[in-house]
Amino acid sequence: MSSQFAISVRDLEKDYGDVQALRSLSLDVGAGQFFGLLGPNGAGKTTFINVLVGLVNRTGGEARVFGADVTDDYRQVRDRIGIAPQEFNVDRFFPTKEVLMHKAGYHGVDRAEAADRADEVLRTVGIYEKRNTKFTYLSGGMKRRFVLARALVSEPDLLILDEPTAGVDVELRRDLWRIITELNDEGTTVLLTTHYIEEAEQLCDEVAIMAEGRKIAVASPAELTQRGTDTLRILLDETPSGVPDIDESGLENGSIEDIAVEGREVVVTAKRANAVAPELVRRLDRAGYQATNLDIEPASLEEVFVDLTSHDADDADEGEDESGETDADAQRLESPEATT
Amino acid sequence: MRREILRYVRMPQSTFLPPLVTNALFFVVFGVIIGGRIDSYGQFSYILFILPGLVVLGVVSQGFQNASFTIFHGRWEDYIEEIQTAPLSYGEMVVAYVLTSALRGIIVGTFIGIIGAVFTLLDPETAVVGVAHPLYVVAFVLVISVLFSALGVVGGLWATTFDDLAVMNQFIIQPLVFVGAVFYPLSILAQPWQTVSLINPMVYMVDGVRYGFLGISEIGPDLSLAVLTVAAVVAVAVDAWLFRHGYGLTE
Repeated sequence: MSSQFAISVRDLEKDYGDVQALRSLSLDVGAGQFFGLLGPNGAGKTTFINVLVGLVNRTGGEARVFGADVTDDYRQVRDRIGIAPQEFNVDRFFPTKEVLMHKAGYHGVDRAEAADRADEVLRTVGIYEKRNTKFTYLSGGMKRRFVLARALVSEPDLLILDEPTAGVDVELRRDLWRIITELNDEGTTVLLTTHYIEEAEQLCDEVAIMAEGRKIAVASPAELTQRGTDTLRILLDETPSGVPDIDESGLENGSIEDIAVEGREVVVTAKRANAVAPELVRRLDRAGYQATNLDIEPASLEEVFVDLTSHDADDADEGEDESGETDADAQRLESPEATT
Repeated sequence: MRREILRYVRMPQSTFLPPLVTNALFFVVFGVIIGGRIDSYGQFSYILFILPGLVVLGVVSQGFQNASFTIFHGRWEDYIEEIQTAPLSYGEMVVAYVLTSALRGIIVGTFIGIIGAVFTLLDPETAVVGVAHPLYVVAFVLVISVLFSALGVVGGLWATTFDDLAVMNQFIIQPLVFVGAVFYPLSILAQPWQTVSLINPMVYMVDGVRYGFLGISEIGPDLSLAVLTVAAVVAVAVDAWLFRHGYGLTE
């Protein structure tokens, strides 16, 4: 109920006939947050957004934006949201500046003010010189910039960006990131969907991972990273004759999933490698291996993402029990030559 | 509303010119060339007889086309989402679409009336067109422009292809107009066609507007006006209901 949440949904459902696009989705996005929504195509990210702005009717559950119901108080909700959709949906009859003025007008802004705002947002996104051009004649990158400008012209409290950097070049991506980050610093809540992990890692305070209409995990990018498997590279003083035989049990805060040897290096795949490393080195030492260097490669969010989304939501939470099994499966699939 | 009006005002070559040319041709062919050989209707020459019907034709088809096209095109290109995600009430959205389309119908209707008047001025044998009951003209034109714009909104929401738009115009609007007593008085029809014609709403509109211009009516304008007004209100209410439930708009 409270409007400390920019977005608050409970048990949100959306069915398209037999297809369930959203399955009992519950999610809170705090006001002022930079929130990332990650998931593969078809995960339900866009459906979720469209429920908020009124382009999709929910089948069940609750959805509120700043405490207002998205159906009952639709005008209030829509007034506070600025959306830059993934698919371009821009009026092609009018030059860009006028499209922006119309959009501002829908939000009750008078014409003079709307013209000022249109100029301002066109400058913000860097296409002011294209103000008299129709959308159709803008380049791909400029179109991306324009939909962001359109989302900004109503000065929203909640900015929703659906895959804003899909297919854009590096420069534009940096540009868009900078603009969005500045807005977030000024207090605008940002909801960003992406399947670029890098984007979520760099920008977001909190990330929700979705797959098949479900929420699989919510955490900070750092926390999510901890859920994945890290890689420990332990350099030995001499090349071992085989894979060191080490007791893998009884490690308190982490677990070892695999040990392999690459030349003088022992490569260990483990959950929470930081916690595991000291004890591991001790056990190696006891078994007669002298470690000279230790390197930890933390799991990338991408790995976490792939790991989490390849399971069902229920499995993901008890992933530790299962992951040994799946890794073994994966290995069997991956290395037929090694065994033959 | 501003966006909607500007959309068609900026493109007169594709919005206003075609109906004007078509109607000028109607006046030339039916009014001047053939009209002279057709028995006049009462004290009125044929061109005067068909003028109100052509005004109705213009108002109705332009209002319908504008509303159905702008909504369908917006859905086709997705930019109607700009309206849908805006903090406008569903009622405001419908009123904007209906009134702007109605206005286009009225503008075209007015031009047709003026063209007709010019033709009657040029022909020394014809009495210059007059307006016997101006209030009736205004009331009928307002009501039917709103009615058909509102129906156009339904059509624009229903259509799934551009063909659907053409089909509605070709197979519904045009036939109703052509058998709607635009070009002939009902009284020349044999039974049962005279009675059958009475289920065509166009008959009442043409008759009402003709009463406004010429002061002659076969049916009686007051009942027609009342029925059409109710129909227009119902059509607008249906539009608002469709928008609220997202028919053709939301998934």
